Order: sequence, then C-alpha cells, then structure tokens
Amino acid sequence: MGKVREALREGRPVALFPYGDRVVLWVEYPGGEKGVLGPTQAFFLGERRRFPSLAAEFPALDWFERALWERGFEPVGHPGLKPLRRHDLPHTFREFPHLHEVPVGPVHAGIIEPGHFRFSVLGERIVNLEIRLGYQHRGLLSLMPGKGAEAALLLVERAGIEPVAHAMAFAEAWERALGWGAPPRAQYLRRAALELERAFGHLGHLAGLFTDIGYAYGATQVGRIRALLQGELDRLTGHRYGRNFIRVGGVWREGQPDLEVIAAHREELARLLPRLLKNPQVLDRMRYVGEVRRAEALALGFVGPTARASGVGRDLRQDDPLYPGFTPVVRQGGDVLSRAQVYAEEGLKALEYALFFLRHLPAGPLALDPPPGEGEALARVEAGRGEVVWFVRVEAGRVVVAEGVDPSFKNWRALELAVRGEGLPDFPLCNKSFDLAYAGSDL
Amino acid sequence: MSLLYTLKVGNLARKLEDILKVPQHAFGYPLLKPEGLTPGVREGLMRLCPSGAFAEAEGIFSLDLARCVGCGRCALAYPLGVGEMRSLEVAVTRKEDLVQQVDLERGGFLDPGPAPAPRRELRLPTLAFREVSAGDTGLTDSEIALLNNPFNDMGRFGFQVVASPRHADALLVTGPVSRNMAEALRRTYEAMPEPKGVVAVGNEAISGGVFAGSSQVLAGVDKVVPVDVYVPGDPPRPGAILHALMLLVGRMTQRLVGGVLR
Repeated sequence: MGKVREALREGRPVALFPYGDRVVLWVEYPGGEKGVLGPTQAFFLGERRRFPSLAAEFPALDWFERALWERGFEPVGHPGLKPLRRHDLPHTFREFPHLHEVPVGPVHAGIIEPGHFRFSVLGERIVNLEIRLGYQHRGLLSLMPGKGAEAALLLVERAGIEPVAHAMAFAEAWERALGWGAPPRAQYLRRAALELERAFGHLGHLAGLFTDIGYAYGATQVGRIRALLQGELDRLTGHRYGRNFIRVGGVWREGQPDLEVIAAHREELARLLPRLLKNPQVLDRMRYVGEVRRAEALALGFVGPTARASGVGRDLRQDDPLYPGFTPVVRQGGDVLSRAQVYAEEGLKALEYALFFLRHLPAGPLALDPPPGEGEALARVEAGRGEVVWFVRVEAGRVVVAEGVDPSFKNWRALELAVRGEGLPDFPLCNKSFDLAYAGSDL
Repeated sequence: MSLLYTLKVGNLARKLEDILKVPQHAFGYPLLKPEGLTPGVREGLMRLCPSGAFAEAEGIFSLDLARCVGCGRCALAYPLGVGEMRSLEVAVTRKEDLVQQVDLERGGFLDPGPAPAPRRELRLPTLAFREVSAGDTGLTDSEIALLNNPFNDMGRFGFQVVASPRHADALLVTGPVSRNMAEALRRTYEAMPEPKGVVAVGNEAISGGVFAGSSQVLAGVDKVVPVDVYVPGDPPRPGAILHALMLLVGRMTQRLVGGVLR
C-alpha cells in the first residue's frame, strides 16, 4: 500500500475497476517526455472483493470506490458509502438543520438528461449542493462480457455523449491488446472525426451558455455554425454524431467533408467568438461565477476543459505523436468565463487539426483485420469533455473484461464546488459551463 | 428561393420537403428486396448485422427497423438483398409497422392491411410538448433540441417545448427507460392534462435497442406509458422526429406500413 500511496501522491488516478475478485488501480505518473504526462501503471488491490479504501486521503477515488461498492466490493474504511447508480439501495441526503432544501429534478425544465440536485440554501445563496445521479443507469458495463468487437462497439458508442472518442479509445485498447494498430490513413481519419466532434461539442456548450444568460444573438450565431459543422461530421462519418465509423483495426468508411466549408466556418468563428466573449453582458454574467480552484481540480482529479480552465495544463493530445507541437489551452480563472474561453479557443484549434488531418491523409487501406489471439490493454483518448478511458481483455475475439470511464464521471463534483456560495439562479449557468454527460457517469 | 418563401419562413429555415429527406451522403433506412433473399444472403445478413435487426422464422425473413443502427453495411455487402429508403417519413402509430416481413415461399412482403388512423382528439393547430430522457445517451435529446434551430425551426409548424408537463399536450420520450427513470416518467405522464399523446423517439425508446437484454432497463416506453407514435432511428434525424409530431397531430399521414413506404 505504501507504493500505491506514493504513486497517487506523485501522480493521479486514471481508473479503478474490478478485475476478477480484486480491483485494479491505474495511476498516471507525472513527467513524460514533454514534461506533463507520464506513463501509467496498474496496481492490484485487495482480494476476495475487499480492498483498503483510499478515498479519505485521495478524494478523486471516492466515486470510483462507491461504484465498486455497488457492484459488490467492499472498500474497507471508506468514510461514507452511498449508492451512485443503483436506486434500490438506501440513499440519504446530507441534512443541514437550519437551511432550506430545494430539490430539483430528475425531470428538468429543458431538453436535458435526468439527474437530481439537492440544494441547501440560505436565502437564495447555495450553501451546499448534493448531486444524485443514476437515472440513466442502463447496466452498460454488465452487457459487455461475451460480446464480439462490433457488438461491443455499439455499446461503447452509447457510453457517453461523445461516440467518436469512446469508440476510438475502445478500438485502440482492443488493438493494443492484440499487439496491433490501425493503418495510418485510419489513424488520421479517426482524429479528424474526433476533432470535429470536439468542435461540435464545444460550440454546443457555448451556444448553451449564451442561451442561459439570455444572449440570443450569441446563441443563434454559434448555434447556426454548429449545425453546419454537424453536417460536415455527418459527411465524414455518415452519422450526425459519428457513430458506426470507427472499428477495431481502422475505420469503416471515408466520407467527403467539404474542407473549404470547414475552413470558412473556422474563419467566421475566429472573428465571432472573441467578440462575443468580450460582450459586457457576457463578462458581467460569467466572470467570477462558478469558480473551481486549481487545488480543488487537482485533489478531486478533474479532467478536460474543467481542469484546464482551473489552471491544470493537462491534455492527452500532448502525448500523441500525430499532434505535432501541441500545447494545451489553459486558463487560470476557474470561473464560467474561463471555461467559455477554453471552449472557444479549443474549438478553433480543433477545426484547425481536423483540417490538418483531412488535408494530409496518408495513402493506404482504411482498416486491417487484427490477428487472432488474446491480451489486455488500457487506452485513453482526450474527448471534448476530458479523458475517456477503456480497458479491455480479449480472448478468441470476445470481450472477457471491459471497463470504461467517461470524463463526466470524474468531473461531476466540480459542479458541487462551483455553485457553493452562488445564487440559486446561477445554477443553470454553472451546470452548462461543464455540460457533463449524465449517461456517461451512469454506465 | 423565392422572395415570398423567404418572407414566409426566414432565409435559413429549410422547406419541409428538404427536412424530410435523407441527405445525399448518408445511408437511409434499409429496405429488403424479396427477390434477392437467397439462403446465402439471408445467412450472411444475420451474421453481418451488428445489432441483430434481421431474423428468420417459419418461412418469414424479417428486418426490424427499430433494431437497425443505420450503419449501412447490409446494403453495401448484399446490394441484391437490401436497398434503402430515402425518406424520413418513417414514424408509425403501431410498432408492428416497423418490421419488414418477407414471405419466402411467395417472395413478397406480408401486408398487415391499412394503417390505423391517428387519434382525432390530438388534431391540434399547435402542440406544446415536454421531453423526458429516460436512459438515452443524450444524442436523441440533442436531435429534439436541434428541431428548434434556425434550419429546422419547428416553431413555424406550431411546435414548442414547455417546461412543465402541466402545460404539455404531448410527451416525447427517449431512451430504453432505465429502471431508475420509470417512476419519474410515469409521474410526468400522469401530471399532463387530457387529451395527451406520447411519442417514443429512437430505437431505444421503442424496443430498448442495444440495451434490450439489460436487467437495468424496461426496454420500451410502452412498458410504462401508452405510446401513440413510434419513430425509429439511432438517433432519428430531426426530420424524422418532425414527421412524428406531424403524424401525432394528424397533419401528415403514416407512410410506413408493414415496414415499407407507401
């Protein structure tokens, strides 16, 4: 355990999931070649479905341990076990005797996935927020064992709101398990789709933020370009969200997106977004609202734009040799505005990368069938919302163990921190600034 | 585009005919070709389909559109056995109309007879609807939300989203209905005033889709509340959802009968 603690103090937890009757903890060490990301290492903990809890010392592991507890594991010494996804187990909210409680959800006012939020307020000021999820729990992970690559990918593409990133991480894990790799052309096409997905998602967050502060002009302009960009993702992958595109060993098809059109949208956004984000109405409503501090982001293990807007400069694309000279977009403010700025800048960069990949497609086949055999591997992909993780053990072309982590699972608690001390009406704005996938954390 | 049209609908919104078409570059909904279904093709299709949309029993070969994920591999591999439909007018009022059944002996589609007429009391000039996501990944919800964008602009057809079920004429439900959402869905439905309609949007809402085998889902909205209109797709494109709303209020007719467009 000493070694595990040391690893966690130096690095950060990537995933914790069951493996037989033990649990396996993946830790990322700091300081790779570029000085930011390091190698990952697996540690096996406990036996006979019992393992020592580390959540009190490393709060980033809290939700992971609660999820394991629901699946019949016992984290010995966990400070407060509560179900995350199962609603047949008792759940009590924290009580504050002198505060008023405001329950919200699971069905919300807009078109959005379900979740329950329990606010403890003093007047209109939020003192505490407790999030209860699990409404989208479909038992996805339990359906994985025994599936072949294609049927497994269908499930993986439904594991979060970003199908390309999930499918890419899963396919890479499968390929790596068999000591294989997709051909270069497929690698480029996958990344082009991933970047279009990122741009589409980020523009969605921005349009939503503008809607939530009543800035109709900004919302309409961004929404318009976003809808047109979705058409290009559709042209590339044959699906409006990029499903049925990536396969183990490569990609299924190669569509014809219009590069000129993507470039034109990028240029228009490059003119438009900085102006929109300097609008006084935007500054007034987004600056200093919903702050997440850097120390909190590090301690709770936040990933993606949520972490980068709080000064944590980590992006898995730094480690990808196909992204030459990549530098992450980082802001220090940790507020809604910082997150909006990260979305805007990353969205523009994503379109640049998408164009780069599509313009420099290497020649060769779209896919090669991986060899038969068995093995296991973990793969990570930087999705729009952060790090997507898939682990798979393959035997005779079938899944034996498959575990996935959507970035939203790691980021949900950022919302609890962000709204503390804010007015209740600012909740939708804070929520939209993270725009997390409910289904992704409810696997 | 004529000036009159622009004045009528604005210069971004597309014509209804265009919204209801599958775009050129994309695969539509698959359509069996009875004459091409040799034993080899049938076996190949059942082996190939990742979501298990094809089945064969008692001399009948069937394709369930509510299980199809729209990858198009069937039409690509067996062009003689599977074609495609290029229209998004695929919403139906009874679930059976989503299944294409080919009588192998006769070599033709089974005809289930005329489609039932939609409910009359929902023939409203405008329609306010509430949406409930009951286990959907979020993409179907996103497609419904995109009906409001300047290109689809469903408001011009009289459709609007409302925040409360008390204000709603119809309920749009997405997702396979997770066990944890069943109660909330039921209560939302009960909170709506009469007359009320329900649309099950997307394959998962119709049959559970790829989650049909999970113990954590109820596999279909109609297991919890009565459904008036089913719209297949994974997720359905906004045009298909718009057609479902039009069908619900009786402004368009059901075109898909026995899985085949009429």
